[in-house]
Amino acid sequence: MLAMLAKLLKILNSDASPGQISLGFAFALFIGLTPFFSLHNLFIFLLVCLIRVNLGGFFFASAIFALLAFLLDPVSIAIGEQLLAHPDLQAVWTGMYQSDVWRAFKFNHTLLLGSVVLSCVLFIPVWIVFSILIKLYRSKLMAWFEKLKIVKFLKASKFYQAYERLGA
Amino acid sequence: MTKWIRWSGLAGFIIVSALIVCFWLFAAGPLTKLAIESFGSRALGAKVDVADVSFGLNPMTITVSGVQLTDKDKPMENIVSFETAVANIEPFPLLLGKAIIPQLSLEGVATGTPRSESGAIKKTNKKQTEKSSSAHSKPAANDTSAEPKSQTLPSADEILERESLLTEQAGDAFEKAYESHSQNIEQSLANLPTEDSIKQYEVQLNKLLTGKFKNLEDFKQRKRELDALRNQFKQDKQAIADAKQAIAQGKSDMKEKFNALKAAPKQDLNNIKSKYTLDGAGASNLTALLFGEDAGGYAQTTLEYYEKVRPLLVDEATQAAKAELKAKRLEGRYVQFETDRPQPDFWVKTLTFTMSLPQVGQPAQSLGDVAVNVLDITHQQDVINRPTLVKGKGVNLRNIDSLTINGVLDHRTSPGKDSFTLEVQNWQLNKVKLGLAGLRMDNSVTDVSAKGVLIDGQLSASGQARFNQATFSSKDRTMLAKEMVAALKTIDTFVVNGRAKGPLTDPSMSINSDLDKQLNSAFDQRIAQKQQELENKIKAKLNDKLMSYAGDYQAQLKSLNLTEGNLASKGDALEKLGKQELSSYQDQLKAEAKAKADAEKARAKAKAKADAERKRKELERKAKEKLKDLF
Repeated sequence: MLAMLAKLLKILNSDASPGQISLGFAFALFIGLTPFFSLHNLFIFLLVCLIRVNLGGFFFASAIFALLAFLLDPVSIAIGEQLLAHPDLQAVWTGMYQSDVWRAFKFNHTLLLGSVVLSCVLFIPVWIVFSILIKLYRSKLMAWFEKLKIVKFLKASKFYQAYERLGA
Repeated sequence: MTKWIRWSGLAGFIIVSALIVCFWLFAAGPLTKLAIESFGSRALGAKVDVADVSFGLNPMTITVSGVQLTDKDKPMENIVSFETAVANIEPFPLLLGKAIIPQLSLEGVATGTPRSESGAIKKTNKKQTEKSSSAHSKPAANDTSAEPKSQTLPSADEILERESLLTEQAGDAFEKAYESHSQNIEQSLANLPTEDSIKQYEVQLNKLLTGKFKNLEDFKQRKRELDALRNQFKQDKQAIADAKQAIAQGKSDMKEKFNALKAAPKQDLNNIKSKYTLDGAGASNLTALLFGEDAGGYAQTTLEYYEKVRPLLVDEATQAAKAELKAKRLEGRYVQFETDRPQPDFWVKTLTFTMSLPQVGQPAQSLGDVAVNVLDITHQQDVINRPTLVKGKGVNLRNIDSLTINGVLDHRTSPGKDSFTLEVQNWQLNKVKLGLAGLRMDNSVTDVSAKGVLIDGQLSASGQARFNQATFSSKDRTMLAKEMVAALKTIDTFVVNGRAKGPLTDPSMSINSDLDKQLNSAFDQRIAQKQQELENKIKAKLNDKLMSYAGDYQAQLKSLNLTEGNLASKGDALEKLGKQELSSYQDQLKAEAKAKADAEKARAKAKAKADAERKRKELERKAKEKLKDLF
C-alpha cells in the first residue's frame, strides 16, 4: 500500500504533463479491465509505446484497474451479454463472426466485449477528469500536500529513498 | 504532434516482438515436442516418442518427425509409427487456443513396428519385459508352436478345462453338504449314551427297585434317585431323537445332492454338445472350424485398434465435463453465431496417409498400400456439424483388383454412431492355411463385402466373402484330411457369411457358409464318428469327475444306516429301562396295598368267624337251656 502511494506521489510530482499521465491512466483501463491475454491488448501496448504517455502512470493505473476489474466483471459480462444478444446487432456480429481475424479478437466473448466497451466509454472521461484533477492537484494541493506530516514521513522513509534512488 | 510520438518506444516494441517471434521459432519446436510426448504419453498410457518438431511461418506449418506410439500392452512394440507428419495450421484460430489444421499428411505410416527400448511408462516387471522381448525376437518359433493348436479340434480335456461344468458345481455342493452333515451327525452322536452308560443305568435301576423300603426316608431317597435317572433317560432319549433327525436330514439332503450330481454329467454333455455343435449335422459349423480362427483374429485386431483410436477422435466424456465446468464459472462465455467457418478446439480437416497392407497369413509380405483419407477429425463434431469420414483405397495392389474402406464416425448427437464398409474385389488368395486337418486353399478369387455399425458400445457387423475358383489341398494323411480334400474338389464356389453382434469388447461372433451344406453329406459319417468318440471321452472324463466327488458314497450311506440302526436299538433299550422302572414301582405300591388289604380282610374275616362262633355257641347254650326247661 505504501509502495503504491509512493509511486502515485512520484508520478504526480514528476515533470510529466497531466495529459500524458492521464492518457496513461486511460490506456490502463484496457489492460486492467479486459482479459490480459487478448489480441487488442497487443495494440494497446503498441500505442502506449508509440504515443508519449507516462509509462509509470500507465502501469500504476493498470494494477489499480486490474483490482477494480474484480468488482466490474459482472457489469462487463452483463454489457457483453446485452450487446451480443441484441437483435439489431445480430447481423453485425454474424458478419464479424465469419472472419478469423475478428474472431481472434474474441469479440463474441461476453466479458471481453463488455469490458472493452466499458473501457472505451470510460476512456475519454478518465483522460479528461484525471487531467483536470492532476492540474488541480499540482496548482492547489501539491504544496499543501507536501507539508502534510504523513507525506513527510513517507518521503523520509527508507523505502521512498530507495525508490527515489532507483529512479522509479 | 511529433511531441506525442515516441519513436524509441516503437523501436522497443518492435524489438520485444521480434524477440518473442525468435523465441517462438527456436524454442517452440522443443517445447511442442515435450508437450506432445508428455500429453500423448498420458493420454495413451504408454510412451510417445517424437524425434523432432519444427515450425514454419509462411505458411504456418508444423513438421513432426520420428513419431512412435507405444502399444501399452506390448511395450516393445508400437501401435502406430510414422516418419513425418506435416500439418498446416491456421494462425488466427491459434490465438484463441484452437488448433485448426486444414491438411495433415503422414508419411511412412506403419503399425506393429518393433521398438529399440521399452515404451512402458511405469516400471514393468523384468520377467514380463523379457517375455515380450523374447516373444518379439522369436516370432517364427511362436508361430510354429501356435500353428498346430489352430489346426486341431479341441480335445476332451481342453473342452472340459475351458467349460464351467455342472458336474463340478454339483460335486462341490455334494462335498460341502457331506462335510456339513458329517459334522452335525458327529456332534449329535457325541451326545448319545454309550453302551457302558446304558449298563450302568440297568445296575442303578436294579439297585433302586430291588429290596423293600426300610422307611419313608429310604423311599423318598430312592424316589429322588429314580427321578434323576428318569431325567437322564429323557435327555438321552432327546439326544437319540436329535441324532436320528440329523441322520435323516443328512441322508435326505445328500441323496438329493447325489441325484443332482449323478444327473450333472449328462447335462454337461448335452451342454457341451449343443455348444460345440457336435449334435445333428456335425458339419454345420465346419466353416467356423475352417475360417473362425483367422476371422476372429482379424476382427479382434481391428477392434483393438478401433478402441485405441476412438478416444482420440471422440471424447464425449471430456466434452460433457467441459460443458459442465463452463456452466459453473463466472468468466463470461463465448456466444456462437451462424457460420460456415466453425472453429472447434481441435480440428484436422484432412488427414492423408498411406500404409502397407499385410498379406493374409504372411504379415511380412505386402499386398500393396492403402491410401487413407480422413476428413474432419475433431472431438467437437457438434461445432462443425459434420461427422468424421474415413476413406481408404487400395493403391499399387498385388493380387487385388480393388479395395475400398469407408467409415463414418458420427458423434454430433448422443449416442454416437460409427459405421464402416469394406469392399474387396477379385482378391487372388494363394496358399491360405485353413484351421483344420492341415488344409490349404491353394487358389481362390475372392470378393469381400462387409459392413458394421457401432452404437452406444453395441456392435452389429456382417460380412460376406464369395470364394470363386477355389482349389484345396492338405499335407495331412488322416482320413479326415483325405475325405475333406476329396469333397472340396467338387466345390468351385462357396460363400462365407460372418456376423458379430453385442458389446464392442465382447461381441458374439458367428460364421456360416453354403460350404457347410455342400460338404454336409460328405462328412456326416465322419463327423458322427468323431462326435461319438469325443462324446465317449467326455462321458468317461465326466464319470471320473463324478466318482471323484461321489467316491464311497454307498459305503458312507451304509455307515449312516448302521448308525441309525444302533440308535434305534439304543432308544429301545432306554425305552424298556424307563418302562421297567415305572412298572416295578407301581407293582410294589400295589403289592403293598394289596397285602394291607389282605391283612385287613383276614382280620375282618377272623373276627366275623369268631363272632359267628360265639353267636353259634350262644345260640347252642340258649337252645340247651330251653330244652332243659322243657324237660
